Amino acid sequence: MSMRAPPRKGENFELAADLNSEYKEKRKDAIKRVIANMTVQKDVSGLFPDVLKNMQTDDLEQKKLVYLYLMNYAKTQPELVILAVNTFVKDTDDPNPLVRALAIRTMGCLRAEKIIDYLCDPLQKCLKDDNPYVRKTAALCVAKLYDLKPELVIENGFLEQLRDMIADSNPMVVANTVEALSDIHIAAVASGATKDTFVVTTDIVNKLLVALNECSEWGRVAILNALSRYTAEDAGESEHICERVVPQFQHANASVVLTAIKVIMIHMRGINSESLTKTLIRKMAPPLVTLLSNPPEVQWVALRNINLLLQKRPDILTNEMRVFFCKYNDPLYVKVEKLDIMVRLATEHNVDPLLSELKEYAQEVDVDFVRRSIKAIGQTAIKIDEAAERCVNVLLELIGTRVSYVVQEAVVVMKDIFRKYPSTYEGVIPTLCANLDELDEPEAKASLIWIIGEYAKKIDNADELLGIFVDTFTEESYPVQLQTLTAVVKLYLQKPESSQGLVQKVLNTATKDCDSPDVRDRAYIYWRLLSTDPGAAKAVVLAVRPPITLPRTTVSPALLEELLGEIPLLASVYHKPAETFVGRGRIGADSMQRKGTDLADDRLATQKALQTVAAGQQAENLLDFDDDVPNDGQPSGLAATTVLASTPAAANLLAGTSSNPLDDLVSIFGSASLGATSSPAPANPMGGFGFGTSPLAPAPAVTPVLSPQPPAQPQAQSGQDDLLGLF
Amino acid sequence: MAIDGLIILDNTGRAIAQSGFHSFPSAYPLLHIDALNSALANSPRHTDVDPVIYVQGLNLDTPSACCHIRRGELRYLCPVSGDVDPLYAFAFLQTFVDILREYFGHLSAETLKDNFDIVYQLFEETLDSGGHPLTTSPNALRDIVLPPTLLHKVLSVAGVSGLASSSANSHPFASPIPWRKAGVRYNNNEIYFDVIETLEAIVNKNGQPAVSTVWGSVDSNCKLSGTPDLLLTSSNAQSLMDCSFHPCVRLQRWARDKVLSFVPPDGKFRLMDYRFAPATASAVSQAAVPFILRTGVAVDEHGGSIDLTLSSRLTTRTMENVYVELYLGEGATGANCLASHNASWTFNPKSQTLVWELKAVVPSANYTFRGSFTSTAENPRPSRAFSVRFEIPQHNFSAIKIEQLKLTGEVYKPYKGMRGTSFGNVEWRW
Repeated sequence: MSMRAPPRKGENFELAADLNSEYKEKRKDAIKRVIANMTVQKDVSGLFPDVLKNMQTDDLEQKKLVYLYLMNYAKTQPELVILAVNTFVKDTDDPNPLVRALAIRTMGCLRAEKIIDYLCDPLQKCLKDDNPYVRKTAALCVAKLYDLKPELVIENGFLEQLRDMIADSNPMVVANTVEALSDIHIAAVASGATKDTFVVTTDIVNKLLVALNECSEWGRVAILNALSRYTAEDAGESEHICERVVPQFQHANASVVLTAIKVIMIHMRGINSESLTKTLIRKMAPPLVTLLSNPPEVQWVALRNINLLLQKRPDILTNEMRVFFCKYNDPLYVKVEKLDIMVRLATEHNVDPLLSELKEYAQEVDVDFVRRSIKAIGQTAIKIDEAAERCVNVLLELIGTRVSYVVQEAVVVMKDIFRKYPSTYEGVIPTLCANLDELDEPEAKASLIWIIGEYAKKIDNADELLGIFVDTFTEESYPVQLQTLTAVVKLYLQKPESSQGLVQKVLNTATKDCDSPDVRDRAYIYWRLLSTDPGAAKAVVLAVRPPITLPRTTVSPALLEELLGEIPLLASVYHKPAETFVGRGRIGADSMQRKGTDLADDRLATQKALQTVAAGQQAENLLDFDDDVPNDGQPSGLAATTVLASTPAAANLLAGTSSNPLDDLVSIFGSASLGATSSPAPANPMGGFGFGTSPLAPAPAVTPVLSPQPPAQPQAQSGQDDLLGLF
Repeated sequence: MAIDGLIILDNTGRAIAQSGFHSFPSAYPLLHIDALNSALANSPRHTDVDPVIYVQGLNLDTPSACCHIRRGELRYLCPVSGDVDPLYAFAFLQTFVDILREYFGHLSAETLKDNFDIVYQLFEETLDSGGHPLTTSPNALRDIVLPPTLLHKVLSVAGVSGLASSSANSHPFASPIPWRKAGVRYNNNEIYFDVIETLEAIVNKNGQPAVSTVWGSVDSNCKLSGTPDLLLTSSNAQSLMDCSFHPCVRLQRWARDKVLSFVPPDGKFRLMDYRFAPATASAVSQAAVPFILRTGVAVDEHGGSIDLTLSSRLTTRTMENVYVELYLGEGATGANCLASHNASWTFNPKSQTLVWELKAVVPSANYTFRGSFTSTAENPRPSRAFSVRFEIPQHNFSAIKIEQLKLTGEVYKPYKGMRGTSFGNVEWRW
């Protein structure tokens, strides 16, 4: 783009006149107006030469405004900025350190190729400046230069100079140097460098620990991050680092506090002394609690991280459950996290106040929160055996309110409790059945049907109740159909005399009128089973399922360890490894693409694994790659999605009601391999499955079951979860 | 790893000011503004929008996240890309808002537009284009960006302007103490401490607090010459828990003797934050809620009635500006109430909230409030708790007092002042 002719009329013409005024104030005022126009996206590029004339001034404020103008046009019209290079270079020799720093900083962010060649000499000078403010500004400038032209940084020996500057007497210079080196390191890694450009040595660590207490909050974060990259040589050194970092817990800045916690979590791994580890963990509690006095957005980030920390160290906040009690006015995202943490902290000692809180929440106005609260009651019941009865009583009271969504959610939760404590709370069943008419959500219906089927022997009018669902069979959703099918077969196996007709009817409808292959297949399998060997059918369908447990972690142990190292980064907030949601910024476009194909491979692997139903460690890893969990139509993006995905809903664990066909098949045939494998790691799940399918299934229909459609991914993952829970 | 930039939006969602974004395409800030505005539009309650929004980038390879906060009528956005610390962004946003307040007092779109040159200078000085916060300590900032004071305006009219004119600025950052500028001179040496405590409590139906915590902070305004080294001894310091401090405080001294030893920054700053834990026998130390609210709420079809009695538990102090609020649930259309002692009440049809406002609650009296409300909903579902806000001037829950302020390093005797104010934020369930 060529330089334009000076404007002849209009506002810019007047401005041009003022910029050339003989009065200083008038010129300065004109510059301000130019900037004002620029910030509202008016084109003032035509005034470039006039503005440039005002760059030589001893008025620093005016100089800054001119620089602001230059920076704005550097990107679109770099050739114009070249005109200003001389002034920049001259300014780096100015007696005023502020001017020197300003000049080098501005040159650094002009990002124009042509200006960079002029940058190196002044930068060399400024890195050795007497004034610490100039030195620390220059240090950051090196990182920017590296971003544009890494070879220049290496040729000029700036890297070595930065490494020397870690020993600077001024802590702020040290901090900025660390920031610059970290930036360069990240950029180098993103562009594929194998050599570590910023090796943190013992020597450096000692210098950083000295500077740590002296610099600004931002500097502290940078230094702490560098410390977290260091691998201590022995336990003594780990202890030393922890000791020096612990005082940062008392910093007023939440970011410093959480980064310090990260450093401790990392270096605590190297400490052998049990008592010291305990002390460190005890010291972590107060700063975490203090974070909750912050505004909601900070609370949320803190809560997400606390949730993660608790998965690794459940003992951190044992006595602090009360601070997580929800206020009516808390934003929903804060309440949801608090609920999750409260369940994690629940023990038999604090379960009473917890339950009374949860009951209170379950009567609030916000439907979503109410449902989660009821789920939390169920999780508490599953987690703490002693409290199960109290939980059931609370649920019964809630069912008594007859608010539709409360009742439905409570029914779903009750089913989980039956899974955990079989044949314990049968007295509740009549109450549940009394609410049959109020259920209109598939999950609640399916849950109740499962309960009826499971306890068919003890429910006198089970055939009547199930008959209702058999009559409307084709109108129900598939999960309900599947449950109805299984429940009727269970009923038939326990009370053959009264339900002969019913089972005939449901098998007929399911095989003839149903349009879901899964439902048809299951009906065929049952039919074969029943007609060939009722004894085998009994062994399969009425097998004793192992009780479910609450997963202690929502992510796999390996991932947890990785995420803890990334506290308090976005990864730890999303509870996902960084690669799944961010690229490597501007530089790393192609490396991201590589990552993308990796992910695609992973997805393929996921499906393959699904087809073979390989459980165990591999299945657990699959959970890490859930990068395309569908968004449930909620507006809030990734964060909301992860909240949903990470809720350790015990409901997900229940094979019986999941909409994924695999779960049900496995729950049917699980018994076959179950006799042999009661250990948590499945010895041979394939065997059990193979047994189920090959000899019995009608030839054409089985394969579709085994290749779930791509959109079924998330359920498939929960399906994997189920497998783990089952065996 | 860093912050990409900073954007300030007015209450209609339009950008007032934004930092450079020099290394990003010009559409980048727009994408973030757009993402936030559409998230707000899609959310039934504005406060329920996640504070970190995922923003799909221009191309699929570079997604980013938008951290945002709302302070007053303005929203502050902080786009971040790469795996960064959202707290870092939030901490920076808060720091920046504090700086703006320090410079302009009350913040509004107009103030920022009128002082755009200062705002842009602040952007430049506080945030490096590579995303690193630079100078954020108000003490140091005032040296390099002049606040819009009257004096400054007069000077500029007189033709003496800019920083070169001020002798104190020839050596900025020359001070050996990063948070305190060198060469400060006052005719009257004085330092003030504001102890502000907030009671955050949830009270169950039976009047027993489920949780009740007092969060406190000590704000200070320091006008002392030279480099004073202060030693502050306070009564009751043992009951202050979970403290966090301004970097100037020597932590070892606090850990050892529970005294605050520090060289203060000049001007206003927050000395410490703490949680007040009264010394009690029980393991869970709870602060007492200073009032009793007897509630009677009955909900019928299309409406309900409310009967409240509020009395203070304090013996001498008066509670001021007491607000008792109840959200009446979706569909609430109106209310008709009667409050004793000439207290006022309002119903806000937009937020469906009923507010009972008492200017002062004296210790001996009982304040009553009776009324009914109507609703289009057949079974109105009002919120399960009254939210009560109040303040008690000249009072602290922790009864913390400054016993002694010793000054070393300088020869003058400073005047010291301390003021306490307490606020309450209580949810009372019915």
